[in-house]
Amino acid sequence: MREGLVRRLRLPTPDSRLPIAVLAAALSIALLALSGIAFGHSPRELLSILISGSVGSNFALQGTLLKSIPLLLTGLSVAIAFRAGVWNIGGEGQFLAGALGAFLAARYGMIAAIAASLLAGAIWASIASAMRLWRNAPEVLTTILLNFIAIHLLGYAVNGPLQEASGKYPQSDAIPIAAMLPTIGDLHAGIILAIVAAIAAWFLLYRTAEGLRLRASGFNRSAAKWAGINVDAQLVRAMAISGAMAGLAGGIELLGVTHRLFERFAAGYGYAGIAVALLAQLHPLGTLASAFFFGALTTGAGELQRTAGISSTVATFGQAIVILVMIVFTRRRFGQTR
Amino acid sequence: MRLSHITKSFGANKAVDDVTLEFKPGEIVGLVGENGAGKTTLMSIAAGELAPDEGTIEDRTEVGIVHQHFLLVNEFTIAENLALSMWGRDPAEVIRDSGIDLRGFHRRVADLSVGEKSKLELIKAIAGHPRFLILDEPTSVLAPAEARELFDVMRRLAADGVTVVFISHKIPEVLEVATRIVVMRRGRIIVDGGAMSAEQLAEAMVERFHAETRGRGEKRSSSAPPRLRVKSLEVHRGEIVSIIGVAGNGQSELAANLRDTLRGHVAHIPEDRARDGLIAEMTIAENIALAEPHWNPRAAARRAAELIERFDIRAQSPLQRAGSLSGGNQQKVILARELERRPEIIVAAEPTRGLDIEATRFIHDELRAAAARGAAILLITSDLDEAFTLGDAIHVIYRGTLSPRLTPGEAASEAPRLMAGIGSRESGVGA
Repeated sequence: MREGLVRRLRLPTPDSRLPIAVLAAALSIALLALSGIAFGHSPRELLSILISGSVGSNFALQGTLLKSIPLLLTGLSVAIAFRAGVWNIGGEGQFLAGALGAFLAARYGMIAAIAASLLAGAIWASIASAMRLWRNAPEVLTTILLNFIAIHLLGYAVNGPLQEASGKYPQSDAIPIAAMLPTIGDLHAGIILAIVAAIAAWFLLYRTAEGLRLRASGFNRSAAKWAGINVDAQLVRAMAISGAMAGLAGGIELLGVTHRLFERFAAGYGYAGIAVALLAQLHPLGTLASAFFFGALTTGAGELQRTAGISSTVATFGQAIVILVMIVFTRRRFGQTR
Repeated sequence: MRLSHITKSFGANKAVDDVTLEFKPGEIVGLVGENGAGKTTLMSIAAGELAPDEGTIEDRTEVGIVHQHFLLVNEFTIAENLALSMWGRDPAEVIRDSGIDLRGFHRRVADLSVGEKSKLELIKAIAGHPRFLILDEPTSVLAPAEARELFDVMRRLAADGVTVVFISHKIPEVLEVATRIVVMRRGRIIVDGGAMSAEQLAEAMVERFHAETRGRGEKRSSSAPPRLRVKSLEVHRGEIVSIIGVAGNGQSELAANLRDTLRGHVAHIPEDRARDGLIAEMTIAENIALAEPHWNPRAAARRAAELIERFDIRAQSPLQRAGSLSGGNQQKVILARELERRPEIIVAAEPTRGLDIEATRFIHDELRAAAARGAAILLITSDLDEAFTLGDAIHVIYRGTLSPRLTPGEAASEAPRLMAGIGSRESGVGA
């Protein structure tokens, strides 16, 4: 991962490579289109449905952007953690924690709800870093296990204490209107928050001394330590920021889209963030493009289901291909635990 | 068995360099030398585990080898571990035949003491009745009584005509048990003989005042790290204090300890440059700015350009990846970063290891200049030449303990014995 995109942005980071990302994206689309043969459609036909269904109309484009918002934030969450060498796979759980936090604070208004989502995500992620510091528990495991806890916690909440007053479905009541995000057409103000978050994350990583130290700890813990960096503090901070981003994604999804909690609320956004971040080569600004790509893939896949009868889960298939290509073709040492 | 003209390199590092050795039945050969001298590599070649780059092995006999690190399955019992290497034989009988006292073969290896584990390894090695037995630092984990027991087994095997090679860097033990002593240094055999005094042996092991070529590879092996027992250490402003000793006597632990405990304006030059020196993936400018309070890419690049000029670093640009620099230039980047902070204390571990003469001289000059500015410098080095040319005072470190502060004159006569741990005048500073 070096040169390319980063050089054009004139950042002193020699660790990005644009062609790999384009290859990964193109390959996943190509394989998706080819898979259409199995369902009796020509690849060309599928490709055109995929494109028209995601960016072909104003309506489709808005749908794509809507999907891109949580993906952008969970992607940022993963990018920041991975940059610090922390394998936070807990985006899903932190997303739910954020949504839950936002829901509980919604009665105090929108700002309070957003703040609560940031805080709840950060706290949920910090459980993992606390376990890392105290008992050296690997966050790859703890974060993923915390996902399951969060999923079941939400399940319990919407079947019990937070269930709607009518008690009919396993879901909560809608949040007060005052807490809902203002809308812009089909979109909501969350898109602005997400873009601001991406720029803030870029600034943090590449324009502050703390970001420099965070990246250094991610590349080589031992050398960072010798250079006088408190690597444990970097880990805790990166994890908290990462969790806050995923939490914000959950909060925004609640406040801007669903307005209520229900089971399966996260719907894979946390995990999809891994694909988003890897395609972006862990660069916050790259995440803007990468989240849009996966947003388009998701809405395009929805269109495939409607018009060609192909299950929309093919979007997940596309994500998996991207992850595999990025892992295989980038030299970043995945799985390093120094 | 006869080894002739054996050479083996790992990358650019010649671990074994044109070694010829002949072994006779019934002798106990003490193979000694510092870490990284090539002892283990040579014996792995003798055992047929490694192929030499050059050279031949004649009259190869059946070889048994006990590695420094246990090759046992922790979750299995003693009997199961024996079955892994000799399926079908009765474990009780194997143990009895070996003449080694190890009881309760249904115990899991995880529950054994290190002494018992090493006995089990020895039983495995001699169960096949080898004519040639290699023991790689077997005593590093043993209690004195257990070591005695091991020596008895070695002597008994030798009496039966087995050649025993005993790799160690504990001089008193080697003198006690070996009938012949071979000293290796930087892949070559320096001494091959019978009776030696402890002082002679110690002097042969470490290079005294003639560092031939400075190029030396990384340590390949290390025994259990010694416990650090340094209570206090005094370095005055403006002076350089050298710490010398046979590698693996607590030098790394001392440096790491100082890194974690010293506060204030302290500069550290880490021993393991490849791992700890720079962030290879980041630029020179980023590496230099790592510990700065502020980060501004443009200012950092300008500053790095200045330092590249001043420290004569061979780099194309401040935005070049640090990992793409040569070892000497990486070390200069580290030096630039650490010394530009105007530190009051500098802890430099092996600052010139593996560097060419020009880079070495440059680094020595920089350290002297820093001392002249009033910095207190602690120089931990295995290069005695460096220790004596730079050091205003010298401590010898042996098994984690520091000798009293010596003047270079005193050190010149006493260092060899102190490094070998003989007649060690342990000071109030040390244990």
